[in-house]
Amino acid sequence: MKKNLFKTKFNTAVIVLIPVCIGINFLGKFIAAQLKLPLWLDCIGTCIGAVLGGPVIGAICGAVNNLVYTITTGDVQSWPYFLTSIGIGLTVGIMARLGNMEKFGKALVTAFVVVVVAVAISTPINVILWGGTTGVVFGDAVFTFLREKGVGLWLASLCDEALIDLIDKFLTIVITFFIVKALPKTITSVYSVGDEIKNL
Amino acid sequence: MKSISLYVDKNSVFHNLHSFTKLFYLLTMILVPAIAGNIWGFAAAAAFSFLMLIICGLLKKAMPFLIFTITIVLIIFIVQGLTYPGNESVMFSLGKVEFYKEGIMYALRIGLNFWNILFAFALLILTTKPKDMVEDCEQIGLSPRFGYIIASVFQIIPQMTGTMSTITDAQRSRGMETEGKLLTRAKAFIPLMAPVVMSSLINTKERAMALEIRGFNADIKKTYLYTRKLKTSDKVCLFLMGLSILSSIAFRVVKWLILK
Repeated sequence: MKKNLFKTKFNTAVIVLIPVCIGINFLGKFIAAQLKLPLWLDCIGTCIGAVLGGPVIGAICGAVNNLVYTITTGDVQSWPYFLTSIGIGLTVGIMARLGNMEKFGKALVTAFVVVVVAVAISTPINVILWGGTTGVVFGDAVFTFLREKGVGLWLASLCDEALIDLIDKFLTIVITFFIVKALPKTITSVYSVGDEIKNL
Repeated sequence: MKSISLYVDKNSVFHNLHSFTKLFYLLTMILVPAIAGNIWGFAAAAAFSFLMLIICGLLKKAMPFLIFTITIVLIIFIVQGLTYPGNESVMFSLGKVEFYKEGIMYALRIGLNFWNILFAFALLILTTKPKDMVEDCEQIGLSPRFGYIIASVFQIIPQMTGTMSTITDAQRSRGMETEGKLLTRAKAFIPLMAPVVMSSLINTKERAMALEIRGFNADIKKTYLYTRKLKTSDKVCLFLMGLSILSSIAFRVVKWLILK
């Protein structure tokens, strides 16, 4: 089990999977915006990529996703968060390889770990670049309120970030779980690394 | 099919430069003010890129970026003006709320640097086709597989949004509600998302086969239809930018020595 943790296939099927995952990320964000949901839901593709292809593919999906997103929208403020995306991809990939995406209950554990990782990476970026704010009005209102009450900068920024990430990442993982479960075996088997090929 | 790239087809000073020169321009604009460490440096760099945008006739296209960022900069000003740790002297007050000078200066610094990078970045992406940049990078040694990943994202996303709108119409005709209460809207997410995701994931298999038939995995050095060489103008620009990075380092060192 352990030696397969970071094992990655780099065949054509995996290379083709990455752009599709990034497309799914974009769609998630697009639909969430169209339905006016107060969430991002912009890393479903990264999570699918990570579950199917493993942690390395997940990380590549995350990094390329943020790169392309910045190029296509000119949204420079979000590029440093590629570190968060890589973190999410890696975490989901590792958790999936450890068998934590097979049952719904275990998927919730994965979601919790992802939230912790995402907050741990995003908060320093928020503090260093923006002095602690996230740019989401609701979260920043909490930040300002806590700061006025005399709460420390890091703790206030942590609450700001955690509040938004908690709901967002939980939903993302749950959606990913159901999508991967619903995929036909012929697709998922293309990416699995555990199989051995027997020659006749 | 609508392209998602922001490239503007035009003829300007920046369009005629090699993509590496433009990338290096972005790097210079980030490095020089950061090394010089002076608030005027950020302001000057931002003003220079802004001027270039006007000269290239791209100001109108760059406006959405600017509007997009006004809220975030405004938030920084309000939050830092109120709560910056070094706040001492009151600058002005709105009713009971007091804004401090230190916080405002700190916010100004972040804001100016932010706009500086934004304008330089706008110059790069408005004048460069993503596909050209990927190709240029491949020619100096970026893995063609990785190049394919980036280039194909630009093709796949418009394709998927196309499928998406078909599916939205189909689901609406079956009575799915996309407006109303938050819960109603949230419920619509899955029936919209799942079909696109499923069909595009299933399509990957066919695409992989199509690529392999065309020799995607061949271990032979790839040839290119177009090669873009660095022109004299590129070399002059690169030289000037290299010089400005060096002089900013020199400026910082001298400043440090004097303070010492």
